[in-house]
Amino acid sequence: MSFTRRDLFKMAAVGAAASVGGNLQASDDAYPIDCSQTYGVLVDTVVCIGCRKCEWACNNEHKLSTTDLKTFEDKSVFQQHRRPVDNAYTVVNEFKNPETAKPYTIKVQCMHCNQPACASACIVGALKKNRLGSVDYDAWKCIGCRYCMVACPFQVPAYEYNEALKPRVMKCTFCLDRLEEGRKPACVGICPNEALTFGTREQLIDLAKERIKAKPELYFNHVYGEKEVGGTSWMYLASTDFINTELPKLTNDPIPHTTETIQHGIFKSFVPPLALYGLLGLIMHSLRENKEDKESDDERS
Amino acid sequence: MTKNRLLILFAIVIATGIVALPLLAQRNSPVAMPTTDCTRCHTCEVPTLREPCLKSCPRTEMVHQQGNHNLQDAPDSMLLSQLADLYQPVHFNHKVHASMAQMGTDCATCHHYSPPGKIPPCSDCHSASSESTDLKKPNLKGAYHRQCLSCHREWSHDTKCVLCHIPNVEGLMKSATEDPTDIIGKTHPVITEPVKKVYQTPYKPAPVVTFQHKEHIDLFGFRCVDCHEKENCGNCHDIEQTSKIKKTQEQVHAICNDCHKEDACSKCHDTKERPGFSHNKTGWPLNQYHNQLDCWACHPTGRQISKLNSMCISCHKGWNQANFKHAVTGLLLDEVHAEMECSDCHADHRYEADPKCDDCHDDGRTAKTAPPGMRTKHSGR
Ligand code: SF4
Ligand code: SF4
Ligand code: SF4
Repeated sequence: MSFTRRDLFKMAAVGAAASVGGNLQASDDAYPIDCSQTYGVLVDTVVCIGCRKCEWACNNEHKLSTTDLKTFEDKSVFQQHRRPVDNAYTVVNEFKNPETAKPYTIKVQCMHCNQPACASACIVGALKKNRLGSVDYDAWKCIGCRYCMVACPFQVPAYEYNEALKPRVMKCTFCLDRLEEGRKPACVGICPNEALTFGTREQLIDLAKERIKAKPELYFNHVYGEKEVGGTSWMYLASTDFINTELPKLTNDPIPHTTETIQHGIFKSFVPPLALYGLLGLIMHSLRENKEDKESDDERS
Repeated sequence: MTKNRLLILFAIVIATGIVALPLLAQRNSPVAMPTTDCTRCHTCEVPTLREPCLKSCPRTEMVHQQGNHNLQDAPDSMLLSQLADLYQPVHFNHKVHASMAQMGTDCATCHHYSPPGKIPPCSDCHSASSESTDLKKPNLKGAYHRQCLSCHREWSHDTKCVLCHIPNVEGLMKSATEDPTDIIGKTHPVITEPVKKVYQTPYKPAPVVTFQHKEHIDLFGFRCVDCHEKENCGNCHDIEQTSKIKKTQEQVHAICNDCHKEDACSKCHDTKERPGFSHNKTGWPLNQYHNQLDCWACHPTGRQISKLNSMCISCHKGWNQANFKHAVTGLLLDEVHAEMECSDCHADHRYEADPKCDDCHDDGRTAKTAPPGMRTKHSGR
């Protein structure tokens, strides 16, 4: 029998889960990680041609859809601004460079922040930055509160609203399974133009700066993600200012600090939510019993 | 003993000589020092022919020696087959691209590392393996695609694989070759340059500019690249014209100003369209011989053409009374007139003016009404 974290909470609600409380610690052992040596990807939007092969590769790798590669040659999707959703961890959008009027395309997915706001917002530690660089999601721990979706400064995590039974938070995993095998992420592997470069954060920042220096006429002098929100594993180069693109203007302060203070203030230990669940459970239980009693009374009468 | 010492001394002197002479000779030999910095391309201080110690791929500074490579030596087309797997080898039409390269961003756009000698193939630096070790340079697949797609997608608005690739599957081949956007194996159509271009400019007093396109090529020997420099491929190729980049007023004037800097606005700007150039306007209509000449044969001053004097001997330095065949002018002189001095009829050697007859003839005749000889099939100057 398989059951999720939420099932456990249901059990907790009826007072059977006191023994698992230890696992519920909001995990802090992920920090600090030396993020210069974690993996990352440099997305060079100057080189990206908007072929959308990365979208297909990601879908295929994570079995998000079975759509044929040819379907992804359709450029009409660029007419709409798309966001990563539960059945597409990554999407490519098209913008116009306001200076040259030329179009450029940009792939978006989870940025795998060095200090992820989503992880800090998560009260059960279902999201965690690991040593390979991925901000990993554990559906087993997730209670479906969707705080991560609110906290993420890039609005990345999506939710399986259509999944009635066990909806999960869906976002780019940085192809963690592949990273663990020493392979590049699926999207990086397929990119025909090598607009995506996989390497350690340190290498990538170095590479990005070198590209800007070599062709200053092609690049806007900024490596997005080097410093934003305390640094991200996925970083961007572009021909124009990033605020004209997909990427929001953010400060260099990590967002976790804010969310963490709120979240962790409320849920300092897991007793309050547990107690709350327990209390709610008991109330519901007694209500149902009352109702059932009433119904059976009605039936009898 | 002394003899022995002398012998040793002698031997030492000889030996020193043998070792030192070539060294001295080397130092004195006139080696032309190159003006470029050796370390740009070589890792060692004294590169030799046998040990050139060439940097395999200089990444920070790209070397491109246009002058050392001749387009005529390059192949017309190439078969890129190194990575053929899912797709058949790609036929790359080098000639079409190279002949357009000058108008774009030069051969160096693709050949960003072409030291003297043989141009190294892309795979010398760009690894054919997909697991590249050097993040700073794309692997071969990435390098090819960057070169092709970065421009092609700008004007074709498409990134379909079949634009360049034929799938390696029997069944798929047909659909790929029937793709109307397919350019495999097609050569560039002949470019027919326009005769003239009439522009409506925002210059209110004289908005119309007639640019005699063909004339500039024919008369002044312009090459396309002389005016069409650093063009965007999309300017011609983009059917939707969305990637067409409009030139600013400064940029447009800069092209003409190479030659017309000193000219007034009215040189080009007018209120109505203008006819093209005709040599008749200069007062020297060209005869059948002069007509065939390149402008520079008579106006050797370059593009700033100046008025010439009309003395035949200005150009025809070797002509004199004895060797000039008057028949080439369309008139074979009769015996009487052939004996006369040139200036007897052509006052002050002004050959463009009508000859004078009234020094000898008082009946008011002209060379037209009473030719001094027989007309030949030649006529005019
Ligand atoms: S596969 Fe590469 S080039 Fe194609 S859209 Fe994705 S990032 Fe851009
Ligand atoms: S981008 Fe959003 S979801 Fe991804 S790690 Fe950062 S905060 Fe979390
Ligand atoms: S890293 Fe993996 S999960 Fe993330 S966008 Fe690329 S293919 Fe998808």
